[in-house]
Amino acid sequence: MSDETVNIEINGEPLKARKGQMVIEVADDAGIRIPRFCYHKKLSVAANCRMCLVELEKAPKPMPACATPVGEGMKVYTQSPKALSAQKNTMEFLLINHPLDCPICDQGGECELQDLALGFGRGVSRYTEGKRVVSDPDLGPLISTDMTRCIHCTRCVRFTEEVAGYKELGATGRGEQMRIGTYIEQTVDHELSGNVIDLCPVGALNNKPFRFRGRAWEMTQHAQVSPHDPVGSNLWAHVLRGEFLRAVPRDNESINETWIADRDRYSNEGIYSEERVTTPLLRGKDGLQPVSWSEALEVAAKTLSDVIREHGADQLGALAAPGASVEEHFLFQALVRGLGSNNLDHRLGQVDFRSDGAEGHYPWFGITLEEIESLDGAMVIGSSLRKEAPMLAHRVRKAALNGTRVGLVNPAHYSYQFPTSGHLVRHGAELVTAAAEVVVALSEQLKASVPEEVQGLVKNVEPGAEARAIAEGLAAGESRWVMLGQLARSHPNWSELRALGLAAAGMANARFGVLSDGGNSAGAALAGVLPHRGPGAQAVKDAGLNAHEMFVSPRQAYLLLDCEPARDAWDSAAARDAMAGADKVIALASFMNEDLRQQADIVLPVGVYAESFGTRVNGEGRWQSSQGTVQPPGEARPAWKILRALGNVLELDGFEQMDPEEVLRDARAAIGEPGPGEENLDGVELAQPARPKGLWRLGEMPIYAVDALVRRSEPLQQTRDGRAAEARLAPADAEQLNVNDGDAVRVSLGNRGCRLLARIDTALPKGSVAVPVGLAETEGLGPRHGGVTVERI
Amino acid sequence: MRFLRSYAKSLLLWELLLGMRLTLRHFFSPKVTIRYPEEKTPKSPRYRGMLVLRRYPSGEERCIACKLCEAVCPALAITIDSEMREDGTRRTTRYDIDAFKCIYCGFCEEACPVDAIVASRFTEFHFEERGQQIMTKDVMLAMGDKLEPQIAADRAIENQYR
Repeated sequence: MSDETVNIEINGEPLKARKGQMVIEVADDAGIRIPRFCYHKKLSVAANCRMCLVELEKAPKPMPACATPVGEGMKVYTQSPKALSAQKNTMEFLLINHPLDCPICDQGGECELQDLALGFGRGVSRYTEGKRVVSDPDLGPLISTDMTRCIHCTRCVRFTEEVAGYKELGATGRGEQMRIGTYIEQTVDHELSGNVIDLCPVGALNNKPFRFRGRAWEMTQHAQVSPHDPVGSNLWAHVLRGEFLRAVPRDNESINETWIADRDRYSNEGIYSEERVTTPLLRGKDGLQPVSWSEALEVAAKTLSDVIREHGADQLGALAAPGASVEEHFLFQALVRGLGSNNLDHRLGQVDFRSDGAEGHYPWFGITLEEIESLDGAMVIGSSLRKEAPMLAHRVRKAALNGTRVGLVNPAHYSYQFPTSGHLVRHGAELVTAAAEVVVALSEQLKASVPEEVQGLVKNVEPGAEARAIAEGLAAGESRWVMLGQLARSHPNWSELRALGLAAAGMANARFGVLSDGGNSAGAALAGVLPHRGPGAQAVKDAGLNAHEMFVSPRQAYLLLDCEPARDAWDSAAARDAMAGADKVIALASFMNEDLRQQADIVLPVGVYAESFGTRVNGEGRWQSSQGTVQPPGEARPAWKILRALGNVLELDGFEQMDPEEVLRDARAAIGEPGPGEENLDGVELAQPARPKGLWRLGEMPIYAVDALVRRSEPLQQTRDGRAAEARLAPADAEQLNVNDGDAVRVSLGNRGCRLLARIDTALPKGSVAVPVGLAETEGLGPRHGGVTVERI
Repeated sequence: MRFLRSYAKSLLLWELLLGMRLTLRHFFSPKVTIRYPEEKTPKSPRYRGMLVLRRYPSGEERCIACKLCEAVCPALAITIDSEMREDGTRRTTRYDIDAFKCIYCGFCEEACPVDAIVASRFTEFHFEERGQQIMTKDVMLAMGDKLEPQIAADRAIENQYR
């Protein structure tokens, strides 16, 4: 848009506007309200509702303010008799076919049509003919439809196409025959689908799990921050009489704009799951028995000190979920370190820890979300971005549509819904070679030499056309970015991938970033929930065992903070065996699961994200605090309180805080201002990856299995992504194994295995099988990536 | 002179006689009091007594859980929880009116789009235990069923002026 300004007048008020702006934008900026339905600041202009008609001087007819660009000396009247009459007549037409069912409509009370009908509608309808009735398409478990209410603003169609990038919704027919729906029978449950609920100005599209449960005016609204991915989307929690009924986006232009992902919107449904732990539990003769808090804390403290006295502090392993808050992470590490153990980690999904010492102080994007939009070139290695962090994917897509050349290096052909400079898809074991190809192509492109550290990895690597295209895209322009995703981080050759990513970033003078797990892995790293670093990234003297080592060399006792090792751990089978073999397992858990029921000795019920004050550090390094908005159910308590009480019973220092703000102050004081730190390759030994026998298991973390809360959200589990317990095979492999779509197969590794349904997926390269992690069905299989055998049963 | 007149008046109990005259007049005039509870005063069709919930003739409850009555209630006497019933309709799972809070203003009746909550002519209720003043949905529906003929007749008269 040009910077040239023009002078216009709205209702006699002189205003300055940029040339090319629409009248409605200028009016909105000046606080002059023009009624509208189809116009939305984040979507393209459709001008089909005609509600924003205004009078222009010298124009013979009223003009739509959303589609009329400003011109020098333009005089606009939004309240003149002509404009008002046009708006009122439009409203009358809109109400012809709109049913009078506001009392049973969930939108009632927050409905744009209702609001404007009050101002512009007639008291009594003059329309006496029959109203049209439209059948409701089933859009899946997330969005309810009442299409008779639709006023055909097409915001939902434009959103799905322009912002989400899918062509799932559309309008068919014209005039009164116009219908919004899916062209062919299918559900709408892509990862941003819920936003059409907020966009719909009437009650045609609504929140299905929330259906009929509350009214807009009776709920209280509380600011929250999403704990499910490192974006840290801002939410409003809508609470009715102490119950968290729904989540809606809280506008924050620099994080989530006006959208949120479905994972953030519907995860609150998990809070009231029947699997919630509501009382402290202690293992008695016949399994876990409810006990009082004082007894549970006494026993937990005694158990911990007994284990340490008998086996030494080294025999205690402590694991925290990466979605817990900074306060909880800080007290957790203080407790475990106070007991003398450094076996402390939050990176359950990682296996390769060779570059621990060379990594920055905390995992971050290396860039702010807003800056992504103005990049020239970017490369993403090992990430199914849309599923890992939907709002980050949205930013990257926005950038790509805006001209940023984004190249991707992945173990499967993930869909992105944007043009890429190249998508290099390689078998999981060859991902390092693929990244090396890009590095070689980049060095040729930029005539720069490959850094010495990674020379060994690029030897004899000949870049293909795709790698050259990616390198060319990355070399373009001024501002560049290289990011490694969660698949790269969980890869057995994370160090090599990281080294190549760093090499590429170094040569291209690009920023380097990492997409980590959970909503607060940056906070966890800063708070010191790491075996080798304490708060503020201070190196500790005797580094403890990392998450993977704690499972492969089992400990006598485990302390868990809201994590489910058999689902979260890189090697789920080893994690389960380690838990089963441990003498004592003390779990601070929000949800019960079968493993806890059998293995835990003490279960202390904790609150989830909306149930206590908590601070999370997102992937930009941004600290965001939110208050507890609902009470934890039953006897459950915020985790910081439990950790503090446990610290007191154990008579450790540093557990005197009276409220979570004080914990945060202490944490901040201990952390200091370490900054993101330097990413380098000092002391990292790199090796050529070996290709294992059999098919390569690509252990994707399904979007709706990332943490305990999301796993309990019933509506999310019913979506296409939630029903993901399938083994996806490349067509060539399926043919070789004589497996058809929908056949039952057994995926096995040694004597462990699981039974899954096979799905043939052209996105996978030959020799790969995608078997998701984080699900009950695949818990017994073991390593997230590596060789497995598949056979038809 | 003035003194003499007032002296005569007080000697002859003039003011007492004036009072007795009034008494005597009322002695023979028609009575306004009634013998409650054998006799009852007539009530207007607009009388606002105990709130009850109505049903359709089919037996289906009228209330659709729009919560407008809850929103309009100036005394915050109404509490509603709602959900989707198995047949997909919007229904209340809880509809409580605190009879101690209710001020019988009738706003809820006016707000109701389906004439579900109505003020009946019924006023003779008492509570024996703490907590009974919370009129639950079942109680109010049962009262509505009992009073339906009168309520329907009253609504029919009222509808002439709507």
